[in-house]
Amino acid sequence: MTTRQVGEPVRRVEDPRLLRGDGRYLDDLGHDAAEVAVLRSPHAHARITDIDVSGALDVPGLLAIYTYEDLAGPLADPLPLLIPHPALTHGRTQYALARDEVNYVGEAIAFVVAENRYLAEDAVQRIVVSYEPLPAVVGLAAARDGEQLVHPDVPGNRAANLVQEVGDAAAAIAAAPHRLRLELAIERSASMPLEGRGVLARWDADADRLRLWTSTQTSTGVRAAVATKLGLDLGQVEVITPDVGGGFGVKIVHPWPEEVLVPFAARNLGRPVKFTEDRREHFISAAHERGQLQQVEVGFDDTGRLLGMSVRFWHDNGAYTPYGLIVPIITSTQLLGPYKLPAYRVEFDSLYTNTVIVTPYRGAGRPQGVFAMERTMDAVAGYLGLDRAQVRAVNFIQPDEMPYDQGLIFQDGRPLVYDSGDFPASLEKLKKLVGWDDWRDYQAAARAGGRRVGLGIACYVEGTGVGPYEGGHVQVETSGKVKVATGLTSQGQGHQTAFAQIVADELGVKLSDIEVVTGDTRRFPYAVGTFASRAAVMSGSAIALAARAARAKVLKVAAEALEADPADLEISDGVVRVAGVPGAEIALGTVAVLANPLRYAFDEASKAATQFVVGHPDQPPVPEDDEPGIEGRDYYSPLRSTFANGMHAVMVETDPETAEISVLRYCVVHDCGTVINPMIVEGQVHGGVAQGVGGALYERMAYDEAGQLQNASFMDFLMPYVSEVPDGIEIDHLETPSPLNPLGIKGAGEAGVIPSAAVFASAISDAEGFPITSMPISPSELFELRRQQKENRS
Amino acid sequence: MKVAGQAVLQAPIERVFQALNDPAVLVRTIPGCQQLEATGPDAYAMTVVAGVASIKGSYAGTVQLAELQPPTSFVLRASGAGAPGTVSAEVTVRLTEQQGATVLDYDADAVVGGMIGGVGQRMLAGVAKKLAGEFFTGVEAVLTGAAEPVPAEPVPVAPGVYRAPEVPAKKVVVRAGEPVSFILGAVFGAAAALAGVLVGVRVAQSSRGRNDS
Repeated sequence: MTTRQVGEPVRRVEDPRLLRGDGRYLDDLGHDAAEVAVLRSPHAHARITDIDVSGALDVPGLLAIYTYEDLAGPLADPLPLLIPHPALTHGRTQYALARDEVNYVGEAIAFVVAENRYLAEDAVQRIVVSYEPLPAVVGLAAARDGEQLVHPDVPGNRAANLVQEVGDAAAAIAAAPHRLRLELAIERSASMPLEGRGVLARWDADADRLRLWTSTQTSTGVRAAVATKLGLDLGQVEVITPDVGGGFGVKIVHPWPEEVLVPFAARNLGRPVKFTEDRREHFISAAHERGQLQQVEVGFDDTGRLLGMSVRFWHDNGAYTPYGLIVPIITSTQLLGPYKLPAYRVEFDSLYTNTVIVTPYRGAGRPQGVFAMERTMDAVAGYLGLDRAQVRAVNFIQPDEMPYDQGLIFQDGRPLVYDSGDFPASLEKLKKLVGWDDWRDYQAAARAGGRRVGLGIACYVEGTGVGPYEGGHVQVETSGKVKVATGLTSQGQGHQTAFAQIVADELGVKLSDIEVVTGDTRRFPYAVGTFASRAAVMSGSAIALAARAARAKVLKVAAEALEADPADLEISDGVVRVAGVPGAEIALGTVAVLANPLRYAFDEASKAATQFVVGHPDQPPVPEDDEPGIEGRDYYSPLRSTFANGMHAVMVETDPETAEISVLRYCVVHDCGTVINPMIVEGQVHGGVAQGVGGALYERMAYDEAGQLQNASFMDFLMPYVSEVPDGIEIDHLETPSPLNPLGIKGAGEAGVIPSAAVFASAISDAEGFPITSMPISPSELFELRRQQKENRS
Repeated sequence: MKVAGQAVLQAPIERVFQALNDPAVLVRTIPGCQQLEATGPDAYAMTVVAGVASIKGSYAGTVQLAELQPPTSFVLRASGAGAPGTVSAEVTVRLTEQQGATVLDYDADAVVGGMIGGVGQRMLAGVAKKLAGEFFTGVEAVLTGAAEPVPAEPVPVAPGVYRAPEVPAKKVVVRAGEPVSFILGAVFGAAAALAGVLVGVRVAQSSRGRNDS
């Protein structure tokens, strides 16, 4: 009997290849391709008065220079606004190449193709662009006061204003025994994958077809966008996602200017063209996230139970809104976390600034929402002198209240209904894991010894597996090997392993006989993409369903061959057996042979399927309701998202002199429903925590008042090294399966990063004795806060 | 980016002001200055080679002088662009006499963009101050005769155009009688330093050309 694979810490089948340097990333492809350099705006806000390319024309090896005036048809229109929303009344997107105006440092102006990147960059340096600089709007405060405008036709820089309310929050707060008000801020950061963006295109003039490789989180999305922009039929465009060196959200944005211009140039020039983004370009021309200002008003009773909450926040969407309102909508809804509020009102403005666009980065608005709610919980506990975990517990939604309708509309346009979770049990696990009840003694002892230590806690709920759908295709080949395809892409999640585990169980085959392909429109043309912790939920479910369909076909064909009842058959290790009848068995590959009636034999095995051997003379070889081969194709389209949850605790120590912040312990309790592969889930949590530490303690986008990003390199933008990531992140799992999908899966990809800002603020506040209201926090900022506190006291 | 600094030059204020007005002096003393050209009243074009670490390049730009208060102060507005990036700066320069010497204070507010703005920022202020220091030392050397003097009858290579001498101080020619009413020195020392940027003879050509490919 084959060991059940789902739930096993199977080593990732991807790793030997990737760790040996055998990965094939975008820039490993297309060595024969012409290369691209992009002239990008050095100004945050300026009118372009002239572009003079004459000085660049004699650069040897130059193949083409494109500016806006070279674009025609749909390519000359603004890039698509991917996710429209009724509240996005002033959505704006950029042109593939700037037309008259640039709105952030890094906006593409001219696209140069040459024999190689060096020559292309030489040509870029010789293009003279004349600008008329305009005042730059940088930072939320400047955007909000609206004195200067990013887009002249967008008053107040306000792209959108959205209000959601359940109950009467203002009345509930006014009637509450206690009230608090908080002012909070979160700074920008970015996905910052190791591999930046990259695109390679080959135009086949004979076949009139385009083949495009791109480092993306959605190959089908890019395919549709490129076909539209270049006026091609969908059938003329193939998009392949090679190995992707990290996405973390930024690569779900599409099409990037380069994603349409590279194939445009390849078709024009009649030769392959490649763009590989460099690090500085990634800083200034990809996307950022996180920046928000928040105001919270809350009313509560003596036990810390929240009676009403009103949140007003301002979201910095950068210069354009290609990804709509997804990030602030997630903030505004996921802010509620595991808590129930009798009355809740949230209003946000999404504001333009002359900075890089803001689109989802791992966590996607949740870290900001969790920050607002968890800072509130700590403030309430502090005000009432109650235990912080206790205040959270009294506000929890109880397990018997599931499914729980929060009364809001979530990012997928569906009601915000939690499907599963046991928050009290999760909290108990976390308290036990971290030693919550012994903490005050430990802290007092440490203080007596001159040390400052703090313990923080933060809880979150994460909507995962958003629709609309994903599909899966499972095919059993005559060799007995199983080929699996799904349309969404992979960028390090271990899909080839996890999806194979699902198929192994469903179909009774060995893991080593299964091959999984993702993100290739030739193999599976219907898909949405990899974001919102949705791949395991969506494609995992679809692949399970597809495998079940393949299994049904296997059993049908095998039952006939073995002259047995399908109900008596079992499949393990790739062999179909009649239960309890030794020797009555048939290999899966043979079943596949039999399932495909042949006229021509091509080997010994296939002789068994030729027309003089199989079939009933009075029936068609392939029955009307059947098809040849063993294939299953199915789709999973959920009613709504499934909600994972978790709770983190961190112990920090702050240096009394230097204010340096170090992590003593980091504990995670995590509920993502059925765990397919605990090793992969823990890896996701570790990675998320590492990114969270970066976001909480180190990373920020240092824009100066002119909109120049001053730390656009890894020299100045601080990401945590392994030395900054907590040692031995302690993880405990709780599995409350989702009732919404066949395997009970909930997403896990973003979990580790969601509560970081909140949990570190909680811990540092605990260590210092005053509230931390703005994240990230550096030692110098903490030092300054201490000085201010001292000044206020005296 | 804001950069402020002070230099003491061992020369009387009028001579310092005069030197800072003399393109022949300036072209020799502004670090990296290749060429300087008068383009109008108190307006100049300039080419400078400068950089931070490996991000080096030639900048072309313009300088406009304003609020001239000889011999005590002026404001210089410079902007330039080159491969490593762009810079625009407003520099306020004040001269005061102190026991026969001249104290020069400069106060610059610069926006540095492009490559150098993104990856060189944290060195910029330091580099700017260093270049400004080199500039003032150079001016002082000319004033005190430590450097080879500017020839008595310098002639521009073309009307109003001054080129930096080939290594070390060749004869610089400035046409006699040419009214050199400009003060770029400090301006440029600081501004060029600021971004490591510069100005040039090159006037932005028009015509939005492109390669038809």
